[in-house]
Amino acid sequence: MNLKFVMMFAWYYGFRAVRRGPSYLLSAMSTPLALLFLIFIISRGRLLNYALVGGFIGLISSVSLSSAGDAAFLRLQLRIQDLFVATSISPTDYMMGLTLSYLIFSIPGLFVYAFLGAIFHIFTPIGVIALIGTLIMLTLATSSVSFIVSGLIKHVRNVWGIAGILSVVMTVLPPTFYPYTIIPRPFLYALSISPATSAAVIMQGVFGLSPVMETMIPVFIIETAVYALIGRTMIKWRSED
Amino acid sequence: MGNSITALAHENLIEIRNLRKVYSNGKVALDHIDLDIPAGITAIIGRNGAGKTTLMRILSTQLKPTSGTIRIMGLDTAKYEKRIRRLICSIPQEASPIGILTPLEQVKMYLVARGFSYSSADAEARSALADAGLEDNMRTPADMLSGGMKRKIFVAMALASGSEIVFLDEPTTGLDPISRYDVWAAIRRLKSHVILTTHYMEEAASLSSYIVLVDSGMVISRGRLGDLLAEFSGKVRIECRDRQEDSISMGGMFIKYVDAEKAEEYVKLGCDVKSITLDDVFIKERIDLES
Repeated sequence: MNLKFVMMFAWYYGFRAVRRGPSYLLSAMSTPLALLFLIFIISRGRLLNYALVGGFIGLISSVSLSSAGDAAFLRLQLRIQDLFVATSISPTDYMMGLTLSYLIFSIPGLFVYAFLGAIFHIFTPIGVIALIGTLIMLTLATSSVSFIVSGLIKHVRNVWGIAGILSVVMTVLPPTFYPYTIIPRPFLYALSISPATSAAVIMQGVFGLSPVMETMIPVFIIETAVYALIGRTMIKWRSED
Repeated sequence: MGNSITALAHENLIEIRNLRKVYSNGKVALDHIDLDIPAGITAIIGRNGAGKTTLMRILSTQLKPTSGTIRIMGLDTAKYEKRIRRLICSIPQEASPIGILTPLEQVKMYLVARGFSYSSADAEARSALADAGLEDNMRTPADMLSGGMKRKIFVAMALASGSEIVFLDEPTTGLDPISRYDVWAAIRRLKSHVILTTHYMEEAASLSSYIVLVDSGMVISRGRLGDLLAEFSGKVRIECRDRQEDSISMGGMFIKYVDAEKAEEYVKLGCDVKSITLDDVFIKERIDLES
């Protein structure tokens, strides 16, 4: 693994992008914060804790999934991926660099949620450790999904539309911002196609907001591994077409 | 070690045997290509859709061939993909820099991807950007640079990479004449072997020592510029608005190749007389292929 490249790509494509275009940050934070506000108003504060825990997951999930647009744009329009294919880096290096660069967009949003979570006393030591671990796995899973989708995109004109749809469908529909107990089990399992579902169910259990559902832990681990493997294949590093 | 010796001892830079590429939609992009590419600068010329980019993508290990073998410096691309990637630098067609990054950042990132340390990447990037004529703009975000300057960023990457072989896919397409000359100058500074594709015949004639003409996925001619032009020795091209005996209809004109001493007869008929260029080699080979 070329860690130097991974860090440099993340720094340049993430941090420099934020510095030269701060609107990226606001864009990344806008949807989860808007949902937090909406849920707070509609539930009169009753579902605030769900929205705060879901905010972490929603932010990571939506930002990572929207990287599908950039992954496809870099491959189809800028041809940057082709440039890197003929070097010593692996597709995993490239994926990690792009994923980490997107994670940089999430950091200020995560601080906002951490600040709100501290004010409303939702954190416990075990909860924080579980949250960090879950967010790392969620980053891996959702960015892999974004690479799978980006590999399927054949025309630049579809790039941003598909990335936007993916981000909303796989982040807002799952029980990220509401109790998972509301939806029937078959639908819950169907929604588990989104890693945000299993991550949210696990975290709602860990923070005592909903009953613990142990089956979601292996589901989360397995789907993360499967998505990571498929993503590495679908990235079109040395393609047939 | 054995392969290094093979690579060094090998006569041709690249050997292509029975190469065929059929895309999943059934389109035959390359059809049984046999080609030896010597050291130096080689230009692959062809019209849009002729198969140039497919060939370049296969040679630079970005695309898998349907069948056939390719040996680059003696190494089989099917077996030694990773080793070959360390030897080559490939600049894709219409590659565009990341708009928010400066030329210095882009070249450094590329060099680190090739295994350079941060410090050597920085030094090599600065030197190459200066050589490519971007010294004054190396800290300007790429989205503020002209099209020519953007292309020069990629030439700087090739310059700095120190690769044995550089693949440049249509490096000057869409550039104005001055930017094109600037990019040519930067390409000439490369110390590597260069394989470039173009549909500009004058670009191939100006830059390359060996020329490959490609059409409809096939190699229709190859050789050094002088050899390719040899069969037109003593001839000129006649362009007339009216059909002449044995003329070729092309773009609303009628083209004919005659001995230079007979040119005067056609001037009296209102025809233009032009010197022979690579265009004529391409036209003749294309006509021969069709017939």
